[in-house]
Amino acid sequence: MNRIGVFVCHCGLNIASKVDVEKVAEYASKLPGVAVAKDYKYMCSDTGANLIKESIKEHDLDGIVVASCSPRMHEHTFRGVAQDGGLNPFTVEITNIREQCSWAHEDPEEATEKAKALVRSAVSKATMLEPLVASRTPVVPEAMVVGGGIAGIQAALNIADSGFKVYLVEKEPTIGGRMAQLDKTFPTLDCSSCILTPKMMEVYHHPKVELMTYSEVESVEGSIGNYKVKVRKKARYVDLEKCTGCNECALACRLKDRITDEFNMGMGKRSACYISFPQAVPLKCTIDPKSCLMLRFGKCGDGPLCVKACEPGAIDFTQKDEIVELNVGAMVVATGYDLLDPDAMFELGYTRSEDVITTMELERLISSSGPTHGEVVLPSSGKKPGSVTFILCVGSRDETQCSWCCRIGCMSALKHVYLLREKLGQDTEINLCYTDIRSFGKGYEEFYRKIRGKNTNFFRGRPSEVRVKKEGMLIDIFDTTTDKLFEIKTDMVVLVPALVPRSDSEDLSRKLRLSRSADGFLMEAHPKLRPADTFVNGIYIAGCAQSPKDISDSVAQAGAAASRALSILSKEELENEPLIAWVDPEVCAYSARQLNDVTGIAEVDEALCAGCGACISACPSNACTHKNYTKQQLVRMIDEVV
Amino acid sequence: MRLGLFPGCLMPTEQYGYEISLRKVLPLLDVEIVDVGDLSCCGEPLKSINQMLTLTLSSRSLALVKKEGLDLLVPCPMCHLALSEANRVFKEQPEMASRINEKLSGEGLSYDGSVKLLHIIDLVHDVIGLEKVKALVKKKLPDLNMATHYGCHIFRPKELGRPVDSENPQKMEAILASVGIRSEDYAEKLDCCGGPLLPVHPETSLTKTGQKLAAIQEQGFDGMALACPWCHKMYDSKQKKAGETVGAKLEVPVLYLTQILGLAFGIDEGDLGLELNQSPVEKVLSKGEEVGA
Repeated sequence: MNRIGVFVCHCGLNIASKVDVEKVAEYASKLPGVAVAKDYKYMCSDTGANLIKESIKEHDLDGIVVASCSPRMHEHTFRGVAQDGGLNPFTVEITNIREQCSWAHEDPEEATEKAKALVRSAVSKATMLEPLVASRTPVVPEAMVVGGGIAGIQAALNIADSGFKVYLVEKEPTIGGRMAQLDKTFPTLDCSSCILTPKMMEVYHHPKVELMTYSEVESVEGSIGNYKVKVRKKARYVDLEKCTGCNECALACRLKDRITDEFNMGMGKRSACYISFPQAVPLKCTIDPKSCLMLRFGKCGDGPLCVKACEPGAIDFTQKDEIVELNVGAMVVATGYDLLDPDAMFELGYTRSEDVITTMELERLISSSGPTHGEVVLPSSGKKPGSVTFILCVGSRDETQCSWCCRIGCMSALKHVYLLREKLGQDTEINLCYTDIRSFGKGYEEFYRKIRGKNTNFFRGRPSEVRVKKEGMLIDIFDTTTDKLFEIKTDMVVLVPALVPRSDSEDLSRKLRLSRSADGFLMEAHPKLRPADTFVNGIYIAGCAQSPKDISDSVAQAGAAASRALSILSKEELENEPLIAWVDPEVCAYSARQLNDVTGIAEVDEALCAGCGACISACPSNACTHKNYTKQQLVRMIDEVV
Repeated sequence: MRLGLFPGCLMPTEQYGYEISLRKVLPLLDVEIVDVGDLSCCGEPLKSINQMLTLTLSSRSLALVKKEGLDLLVPCPMCHLALSEANRVFKEQPEMASRINEKLSGEGLSYDGSVKLLHIIDLVHDVIGLEKVKALVKKKLPDLNMATHYGCHIFRPKELGRPVDSENPQKMEAILASVGIRSEDYAEKLDCCGGPLLPVHPETSLTKTGQKLAAIQEQGFDGMALACPWCHKMYDSKQKKAGETVGAKLEVPVLYLTQILGLAFGIDEGDLGLELNQSPVEKVLSKGEEVGA
């Protein structure tokens, strides 16, 4: 005979206002198999927990039913209470008489009857509960970080500094990401490279970090504590050991100054062999197979000039992509963002005038390592602009493009105003068309105040069109602060485009089985309480891969993701969730289901199973079942209610 | 191809040149125009006052056209918009649709949103095709650079699905190119003709008209090509007044697209209603040569 204890919670008035909890407890006490039934105001409180623990001892209970809120809230709590009281934690059954009863019903009598039925149902299952023991998986104490921007670098450093090996995988030839393309950062106007490059060097030289640049994640198998990752190391056609980063090959290349330079956002030209920027890490050349004549046609004039120019003989056209297998316990995904292509908005003139550029292009114009060595000139004529107009929220906060705020546009534009005033002097007119100035971070509002003193015209409104004239451009802007229509004549338009997920983020999320939110960014497990977790255990996210954010927030989230990864890596082994599906080997007699060569059955990998139950309903021979959600258990519960 | 014609109100009452020219040009392109009797106003002018009436009027005409089993040519962009909106309601709002049909039942009519609507531009560009247009060219027009003007209702609202792109319409340019006429893009291309403001704020209205014509004249265009009777009224019939309003001497020849096609197809100038145009169209006429002559 079972000895079940039933504990009915009032949840203050949440349950007790509709359900007569005392009656429910009294009813429960008379059910077969129930040794004791009690009600209490807050069962989840310390006093409530003690009540349960004492009852276990006093009545020698072998199972517990808690009638309270959703098991999502306190199942974990009551399992712990049962364990402290000396029971197996899986002999606890929660029945939800709050969300699914007291909150859902108007009539107290009906609610009480329903609560009774729910309790009766739960008791019937509790008499059949099996004590379960969690199996354990050893943890591989190494991590992989995908994405070598500031978030990825920071996460890698945090993990490595704690003594764990990290593989930092970056698809570009150099780490540094978007931050490396920036000239200055807001609101402090720190030189972006000056604060980033020390971190790049640190991660490069860290004994616990293995840098894998020009590499991409090919596939991922396994589960938390033990992921098996295949990484494609793309052929660089340059021997990293031999290359000294002297750049002579790039200077010698037959295609010098003819290939669109992605790092400079298409504002400059590079060679087919190239180093993205002077502080690249690793400072090694890469040959672009899409443009190199040798790699495309097997022939480059009367012989490749780069080979002649390379003194250490590092160039190797025979290199092939290499697949490297990694075994890691946890991962951090920090793959960053793309900028919305303004081609999508014909009306803003990006396709019609060279002098309509994006913020990132302006960033490269301002940068001393950029195509103009830091001189801000009109791309069409090379002349100094007499007037520059910023258009904020290009595609952002726009139902037809991206409904979200990019969170960095306002501040980046204000920063540019400051930098342009420095570079172009007082003669240049600067206009800024904004929706709202969102200067929300520490020191941001103060920075905005400072820029307002910089002789800048602020228009609150969105231009519907940039009219491209033979000379210069015209913008009609209706300023909603003065209710007046203004016409701006300007030489250069800087669009501040929306931040969008990386173009390959869908592909990567599929490989890692990560969910994405409606906007396409990687989805966090909980927007407030688990911002760096994903729904896949052991994979954490940081930076703009999760949502648009600035550098400080990216670094903060990288720290959070690293600490979450460390919480796995620091354990020798992990407990597996015992409430999972399993295959009953006695039922499954068919060799057709033979997946395991040794046992001859279609086994369930305990570490992988999330207990979703999908396989159970799919199995035609009833061979699959779910621990503590067996058909017998559930049918009996239903019988009691119906 | 047989198409019903929705004349609208402006074309049969003052913008005769549009109707005359399209009735001359379309048969050459193997389009037979069928006059469906008893059509109503499209309803668009009433939209801000009584939307139900607007939709009922549109649907009534469409129901009559459906009875004839025809698709419908709507040369006026504003009528095209009103009728498209009615078609949308029949596709997306069944409750509204049944209310409209209730009203139509008094006349023994009913509608279902099935009549396909065409404007001159998509008829020529998408349905007939530019190859056929090219093949019909009989007269080489002088080297002209015509500014195109579409008329707002033909390209917006985008969500409704319009015959041309709402930000970068290029179909009229392509049609003109197929008869050997250049039409460069210009900054003011999508600007409003001012027409909708004419009854309530004439000065603002004519300022809009004048500004655009002045910009076209300044940029050295030979004239303006359009396919909207309302816009034609503003740019052609009101050109002199618009010039006075903005203080400019305007001499911009304004022609319907169908008039230009007619000229290229070798139709006699006198048969295209050109004498009804108020703007100095003679500036672009008469210099053409016979192809192959």
